[in-house]
Amino acid sequence: MKLKSRVTDGVLVLEVKGKVMGGPDAAAFQDVVKSEIGNGHKQFVFDLGGVDWMNSSGLGILIGGLTTIKNAGGQLKLANVTEKIQSLFMITKLVTIFDSHKTVEDALKAYQ
Amino acid sequence: MPLRKIGELTVPSDPAYLEKVDQYSDRLFKKLPLGKNDLDDIAIAISEAVNNAMVHGNGLDADRNVHISYYLSARYLRIAVRDEGEGFIPDNVPDPTESENLLKVSGRGLLIIRHLMDRIECTILKNGMKMTLDKFFTEG
Repeated sequence: MKLKSRVTDGVLVLEVKGKVMGGPDAAAFQDVVKSEIGNGHKQFVFDLGGVDWMNSSGLGILIGGLTTIKNAGGQLKLANVTEKIQSLFMITKLVTIFDSHKTVEDALKAYQ
Repeated sequence: MPLRKIGELTVPSDPAYLEKVDQYSDRLFKKLPLGKNDLDDIAIAISEAVNNAMVHGNGLDADRNVHISYYLSARYLRIAVRDEGEGFIPDNVPDPTESENLLKVSGRGLLIIRHLMDRIECTILKNGMKMTLDKFFTEG
């Protein structure tokens, strides 16, 4: 898994790439989210367009991110959710807890 | 073609080895008649089964290994994942789709395996649990 963050319109956009399968990925992801909250960011977009696939640990990473952000008084939106991830959201009913948008631009607009 | 073993791999109970398992599987599956969607489903299911074996089967005990065996027949691919634990019963997990469990970060592995693979079987052995995952080749 690779992570790359940027700030657009005051929103922290975190690009996630590769295979998200837990192990060291979970700690790396939490570290980035906590660090950006520490930098004062409250509004996040996780861009999942570059994710090859993720397993249940990957889903757990997203849930952990959502919980951490919400506990800090922030908000999270997902963008570019691939068909494969969307099918996992449906199977696990996580589709009900994530605010998903077709593109990063759409997610950013939803914050305005 | 009878079922024949095409590969095997043993890794310690450390989730950092999931990537090594994935790379080994990738190399092994390159010449199989499976599309990207099926290959991704199988890769996800293997990572779930191996992670379950490491965490629930072996209790992340570094002295206990997880053994992955790969078999092939004319009709399907089989992956067998065996731990060295006391034999956990995978059905005894709370339903992760119940509203009170939705925000839990774990507990979805078996649900996902059941959805992605065509047939699964769990066998309690003397020295651990074996989970067998089958994926059938589609016609044409």
